[in-house]
Amino acid sequence: MNDLMVMAQIAGRRCALPAHDVQSVIELGTITPVPQTPDYIAGITAMRSQALTVVDCRRALGFTADDFATDQRAAVVAIAGYSYALIVDEIEDITTAIGEPGQVSGGFGPEWSRVATGMIETSSGPALLMDLALLIQGPGGDDGDISVAA
Amino acid sequence: MDDLLADFVAETREMLEASEGEIIAWEADPSDKARLDSIFRFVHTVKGNCGFFDFPRLASLSHAAEDALADCRAGRRVPDSDLVTAVLAIVDRISHMVDAIEAGDDYPEGGDEALVAALGNDGEEVISAIETETTPLHSSASQLIEDNEPASDDRPAARKPDNSPSVQRSIRLPVDLLDRVMSGVSDMVLARNDLGHRLRQAGNQPTIDGPFERLTTILSDVRDAITRMRMQRIETLFAALPRLVRDLSAELGKQVMIDLEGGDVELDREMVEMVRDPLTHIIRNAIDHGIETPSARLAEGKREIGMLSIAARQSGNTISIVVSDDGRGLDEEKIAAKAVSMGLITTKQSAQMNREKILQLIFEPGFSTADEVSSVSGRGVGLDVVRDNLEKVGGSIKVSSQPGVGTLFTLQIPLTLSIIAGLTVEIGDQRFAIPQSYVEEIIHSSAKALDFTHVGETALVTFRGNRVPCLMLSNVLAVGDSAIAEGDHTMVLLRLASGDLFALAVDRIHAHGDLVVKPLAPAVMKSGYYAGSTLLDDGQPILLLDVTNIAGSYDIVSDARTRVRQAVDEATEEADQAAARAMLFTDFAGRRSAVRLELVKRIETTSADAIERTEKGARAVIDGAILPLIGLPDGPVPAEKVRLLRLSDGDCELLHAVREIDDALELTNKLKPVKDDPLVEAVTLIGDQTVTLIDGHEIFARYGEPPEVTSRPLCQLPDSDWARTILGPLVSAAGYDVTTASADDDDAPEVAIVLEEESASLPSSIEPRAVIRLRSRPEAVDGEESIYRYDRDGLVEALRHARAAGGTR
Repeated sequence: MNDLMVMAQIAGRRCALPAHDVQSVIELGTITPVPQTPDYIAGITAMRSQALTVVDCRRALGFTADDFATDQRAAVVAIAGYSYALIVDEIEDITTAIGEPGQVSGGFGPEWSRVATGMIETSSGPALLMDLALLIQGPGGDDGDISVAA
Repeated sequence: MDDLLADFVAETREMLEASEGEIIAWEADPSDKARLDSIFRFVHTVKGNCGFFDFPRLASLSHAAEDALADCRAGRRVPDSDLVTAVLAIVDRISHMVDAIEAGDDYPEGGDEALVAALGNDGEEVISAIETETTPLHSSASQLIEDNEPASDDRPAARKPDNSPSVQRSIRLPVDLLDRVMSGVSDMVLARNDLGHRLRQAGNQPTIDGPFERLTTILSDVRDAITRMRMQRIETLFAALPRLVRDLSAELGKQVMIDLEGGDVELDREMVEMVRDPLTHIIRNAIDHGIETPSARLAEGKREIGMLSIAARQSGNTISIVVSDDGRGLDEEKIAAKAVSMGLITTKQSAQMNREKILQLIFEPGFSTADEVSSVSGRGVGLDVVRDNLEKVGGSIKVSSQPGVGTLFTLQIPLTLSIIAGLTVEIGDQRFAIPQSYVEEIIHSSAKALDFTHVGETALVTFRGNRVPCLMLSNVLAVGDSAIAEGDHTMVLLRLASGDLFALAVDRIHAHGDLVVKPLAPAVMKSGYYAGSTLLDDGQPILLLDVTNIAGSYDIVSDARTRVRQAVDEATEEADQAAARAMLFTDFAGRRSAVRLELVKRIETTSADAIERTEKGARAVIDGAILPLIGLPDGPVPAEKVRLLRLSDGDCELLHAVREIDDALELTNKLKPVKDDPLVEAVTLIGDQTVTLIDGHEIFARYGEPPEVTSRPLCQLPDSDWARTILGPLVSAAGYDVTTASADDDDAPEVAIVLEEESASLPSSIEPRAVIRLRSRPEAVDGEESIYRYDRDGLVEALRHARAAGGTR
């Protein structure tokens, strides 16, 4: 497996996003907040004539976003026909993965284990390979829906 | 090959491709119910479509397979590998036959019966159906099955559909591709706007401006074309229906007339496809179960021919298609009993459910009240599929029915991705869009008329005398309290599809315009508050509110409404007594006046030349009726267009000209009676200004008259220049058509005007009902009943009198 990986810092950790899934990296403009949605959904923003759902990866993992600075760049990914912009701390580089993702005994910690496919070696060192579809489900998994005030 | 057939082939093949995986999965696990269902639906649909065309062999094959599968579904039979093989053989055979149909070849005779026999159906019904419908070759079953196995491998190769140009008259494109092209064009438009902006900044550059203009024109053309590419008139769907109805009714021995309406409604091409099957199912059901046989209809005192009417309507961003028949209607008790026996509901529940709810049970899976299973419908597949398919695309279906009178199915489908009219509202500093179709009215609630109150935790406003629940959008979306004081909100009154009304309080209203709605990511949709997103002109994305869902989550829909109504009724009664409502206006004297709202029938605007003035007062023609008009100032009509309040006391009508109409409001302050002016009932305070309330009784007593319809009676005038130019206009102003003595008119004139000097000239052949004699001298001559020719009032009075007399005959 010598796939290209987009390397990014998420919550202070180095992560790898499969470059195949990442359509582009954009500078985030105005984000329109979406009330009554889980807080990992930062809002929606426009990329050309398309509306993107902005997902804050730090919150999606269960961390607080305030602890980490962001460089206002986001990776645009398409999952199940919808486009998302992923807010990360920083987008570093594109590198080549070396070998297959593997597991580490002891796991990666509960937040990370939920979304990580495994550890992957890249030419710029080890990183966590993210499962984007799981990442955008947010910390609650699929109980992400909020109870409606009756 | 005609289009319908091409559609059939394409559809069958698509379904085959889609169900191929299902079939294989089912083979692996014959007890898998979901797979079974989907294969069942496939054969059922094929059966239905075959009934539509004349493919008895396909029909019998699919019918047989359906029977076997229905047994499995009902648990009367356990699917085993033999059955699976037999069903698969039939599916293969269907596929080959479809290939043959497309190629225009005849499929080799024979073999069908063996395949059917291999199903091992023990029901005689199936066998008899096949015997009547097919002409099989008699061969031994086992041999044919053996034959069939290799055949299924060879034949697809041999009979690959050859896509000769004669067959392919149109191309089928994936909708994705259209979407991509569409969003590409939208991007191009945005890029053009950006470029245009920069060009303006850079100043005039003729060498660039020309091509840029051309680009703009081309782009807007392309955009139109792309939009049209997606849209299709529903006519294309309707076109196939008369034939379907004809064939079905002939088959079932019924007489059905179809009435199609609204074929020009346009909807998304994809939606047309989505609606096709549900609609066919419903029509089939209606003819099979709904409409009675001619003899039964006659016995019931109905017309021999049943009516099936299908009407499409666009209302905002939904299309509703109503399919109604005048058949026997749905049997509520039978449905309830069936539902209980199926375990859908308990007996107790069925007793508590209202009729409407019980009727909706027919959309539950596996539901069928038909006593007999026919080859047309009635196997319980169908309505649940119909509902599923519609719900998949965000639509809905309802049924209502009157026993013995008929059944009415209402399908609601969205115009996905099409452009909808929307209203942009703002709370805090964020904007949201609301589909215009829900918006009933917008009220700035600073007007006290809304009477904003809290009952418990529920906010209520008063709209046209009704208490309407009110939701604060800022609370609904939990975005914190807005800076706007309670009661200063702008109220958007929203009418739901169920007919329920509620108010949504927002900070501001922005604009309304066309919005291109795009779907939102599932995580956002899950919140239930949004229906999609759209981009504003400046490229900023905003959210489209899901009005129905929001209302639903606050229990505003239907049943809840009755509850709120009841709770509120007492309060409303009190309020009703306290406040009469009035229409506030400013008259031409600049006086602020009001007239009780009950008197106001309508607000009209008329042009000055529709107003006729006489000494005694003015008249205006509104909707072909001449009505008395009051409230105009002396002198010429003050404006080109005059606003008129059309007042009515039930019989009489009159018009009141006003300079400006302010608002409808409640007369909450004390009414102080006025003695000196009979036309004024009272004065009252509204805000801090006095307002005179017009006395309805008095103005109707003075000016009111029933509307005169402008079928004008005929008045015959003397044949002279004077009569034509001076008398004629006056007579026609008094409401007559004018003719002259010499004119060849067949109609007898209602009134004849003769000059005294020429009284002899009255033709004897025509007998007018009344004769008005004019004299040329002011002084009356004794013994002669005549009117001085310039006595306008006298003349008008005489004309009116003559007319009133004519009217009483």
